Amino acid sequence: MNILYTVFAITMISLSMLLSGCEEQAVQTLPERAWTLTWSDDFEGAAASSPDKLKWTYDIGTGNNGWGNSELEYYTNRPTNVQLNGEGQLVITARKESFSGSGYTSARIKTQGLFSQTYGRFEARIKTPTGPGIWPAFWLLGDNITEVSWPQCGEIDIMEQRGQEPAVTHATVHGPGYFGGNAKTKAFGLLTGRFDTDFHLYAIEWGEDYIDFFIDDFLYQRIQPSDLTGEWVFNKPFFIILNVAVGGNYVGYPTTGTPFPQSMIIDYVRVYKKS
Amino acid sequence: MKYSTKHMNISLIRHFLNISIIVIISSLLACNERSIDGLSAPTFPENGKVFMDDFTGDLIYAAFGGSDVKAFQVDYETTYNNSRASMKYEVPDANSPKGAYAGGAYFSRTGRDLSGFNALTFYIKATQSATIDVLGFGNDFGLSTYQVAMNGLSVNTNWKKVIIPIPDPQKLSGEKGLFYYSTGPINEKGYTFWIDEVQFEYVPDLGICTGSIYNGEDKKIPSAEKGSTIRIEGTQAIVNLPNGVNQTIAISPAYLEYKSSNTTIATVSNQGIIQVLDSGNSIITAKLGDTKAKGSLELSAKGTAQIPTNQAPVPTVEAGNVISLYSNAYTNVPIDTWNTRWQYSTTDNSFIKINNDDVIRYYNLNFVGIEFSANQINATAMTHFHIDVWTPDPTTNPNNIKVMLVDFGANAVYGGGDDVSHEITITAPTLKSNQWISLDIPLSSFTGLTTKAHLSQLVLSGTVSNLFIDNVYMYKTVSTPTVPAPIPAYPAGDVISIFSDSYTNINGTNLSPSWGQTTVVSQPKINGNSTLLYTGLNYQGIQFGSNQNVSSYGYLHLDYFSSNSNSLEVFLISPGPIETAFTLAVPTGSGWKSIDIPLTAFTPVALNNVFQLKFVGNGNIYLDNILFRK
Repeated sequence: MNILYTVFAITMISLSMLLSGCEEQAVQTLPERAWTLTWSDDFEGAAASSPDKLKWTYDIGTGNNGWGNSELEYYTNRPTNVQLNGEGQLVITARKESFSGSGYTSARIKTQGLFSQTYGRFEARIKTPTGPGIWPAFWLLGDNITEVSWPQCGEIDIMEQRGQEPAVTHATVHGPGYFGGNAKTKAFGLLTGRFDTDFHLYAIEWGEDYIDFFIDDFLYQRIQPSDLTGEWVFNKPFFIILNVAVGGNYVGYPTTGTPFPQSMIIDYVRVYKKS
Repeated sequence: MKYSTKHMNISLIRHFLNISIIVIISSLLACNERSIDGLSAPTFPENGKVFMDDFTGDLIYAAFGGSDVKAFQVDYETTYNNSRASMKYEVPDANSPKGAYAGGAYFSRTGRDLSGFNALTFYIKATQSATIDVLGFGNDFGLSTYQVAMNGLSVNTNWKKVIIPIPDPQKLSGEKGLFYYSTGPINEKGYTFWIDEVQFEYVPDLGICTGSIYNGEDKKIPSAEKGSTIRIEGTQAIVNLPNGVNQTIAISPAYLEYKSSNTTIATVSNQGIIQVLDSGNSIITAKLGDTKAKGSLELSAKGTAQIPTNQAPVPTVEAGNVISLYSNAYTNVPIDTWNTRWQYSTTDNSFIKINNDDVIRYYNLNFVGIEFSANQINATAMTHFHIDVWTPDPTTNPNNIKVMLVDFGANAVYGGGDDVSHEITITAPTLKSNQWISLDIPLSSFTGLTTKAHLSQLVLSGTVSNLFIDNVYMYKTVSTPTVPAPIPAYPAGDVISIFSDSYTNINGTNLSPSWGQTTVVSQPKINGNSTLLYTGLNYQGIQFGSNQNVSSYGYLHLDYFSSNSNSLEVFLISPGPIETAFTLAVPTGSGWKSIDIPLTAFTPVALNNVFQLKFVGNGNIYLDNILFRK
């Protein structure tokens, strides 16, 4: 997410026998994987309080060139942009307001320096915001970003959505030779309903040389080294990021019809290791 | 807006189209990856189509009054996606002799079930960039109860799909108004636009629909006047379209459900009309479907409520002789509705309690239909219609209240040529303001009501706009009581009894002293209970066995019954003679009436030395339990 993207047509790629073809079964039969919880946040706490500082830290400001994407928001750690709602949920709210030279505010929180893990299941139950130019995401970055920089560190986007397509979510990996417009990505659309009207469970199950992407426990994307046009950089620790961006090259820009404020509500984030 | 939805002139009915519905079989996304539970595709009713390549179904087009009646034509040249035909609209120049604007509505004569859809969609393009004033549905040239308007739609020279969401599809189970439009020239110049592929459909990725009143704001009316009506304004819905954009549409108040936080202060009809009933505060809120609507009205009302302070007289007619529609005194028969809300009726109603007695309050009354056609009343054995009415409005002539009864006749259904009805008009002096009036109308007075076996409707109307009613029932009079008078329960020590089986009576009392009367006195027993009967009363005395000092007693109690008397007075007499009359209401309907007359009512009679009673009047009078009590 932190370099220039170009919007491009998504090519449907057949994944495996299980996923190809037109008549999947309503319930997938997947190999049983036993998991042990290693890290989680259920966002329990008083309303209007900030998320657990032992688990989360913040990206503040506008980054470099709108976090590499010409994004419009100014990220803050104010409760008005990021707070617990007192009902066991975290709320990240994008607002249309003038703040330190930006026209919008929002928040981006991460576990960098506090938690990272190699492999396992990463999941979050989220109700996403909507509207043209609204860009919510639940994603991972390689721990070694400070040493090797992006895209060599690798990026796993478990959930990214464009607010003008409320019924579509995206799963993507970025790495050396496949990033930005050339990233390895797949869209998943709901035939009926939208992602902003209900909570959905976004997850990856990640092991040596594979990453499986799930929506509501339905496997819709598997990425392996052979799928990539560059080096596989995903056999090392990654940390977690949650944010709502406003505008930018990936999503386009807000219109007069974009509803503000817009909130992403996160019920929980959980990380497991294989038992 | 250039037209009024309520009083539109149908200046042209141009198209009477009866075209069978074109069934379009479309395969719905043969290949997809959706497999999440609960996301099954909805069933698509086939009657959502309005204009695809031609009109669908029994559509009628009518231009709005004052518009260019020929603004709309079917076009075969400019169509969306090279379909066969489209709808073309020529907006006139300003000051065109043909009309000031283009506008009209397409409506179904039979109505459509649109409850399976969530939006009206169509494609639109124009010869230039323009703003269409209003496009929508729900305008049926009648009440247009469920109207939706999208205002100020921007169009240009490219086809664009427009989605007008249905705020609450459940409401549209029989909608007639399928599409309407209205717009005027731009900078006084006309132009042309086209619309195609007009249909109601289920848009799967339409977002949540949120209603609002007062445009979503919390409005305050700090000094509403009691008795006034307030129309809720700014009813809207905001829907997030599949492109993430919020679209605001104007909706009829009837799409929302309203709630008053204090229904003794204000009530709200389902049409969004607030009736301010009393001084105090109430907050009006609304829901669209199950979701709370944005906006509210905080109402502070002043003034005194014009409602009865006392309850209506408790009926005394024996239950066995009554068919009750509405009374706490009886078991009531089922009534379909106390307000049919027939067309042109402005009447609203609420069910209120006065001293814990249930009363129906009508306001904005012009006429109100009360229907019981599902459980018709056979009143052939009944002799009277009774209703208690109360109004705060002026009742001097020529003000009136009208009562109409409708019988559906032998076929027991509306119409068929055998329906009969009759209306009775009540005026002063019977009619009075600010007090309960008990109307006992002989059914024989309803001369047009030649059959009474399938009574189905009661219609109330008149000049008063506020009417409270209670104790609505039919009853039959009987010439003799079928049960004894109620047994008195006063302690014997508190009673001096003249005539009662329940107490020891004054010894030596003469129940028929010879005062020259023509009344015939007898003592029939009713179920073994002795009763005093005056047949053919002109007057009749009672001579006590001894003079009585009742100055420490409070009341003269007596039970009386008469089906045929229309005049009855009772006198208490002390030597002199000093006598004072008290008028008893007759006839008594078809039951005993118990009365406790304060002895002070007989002033200047010497209460320490009373010795006679006298009854003056006519008809046959049954009496029992004549006693003085504390």
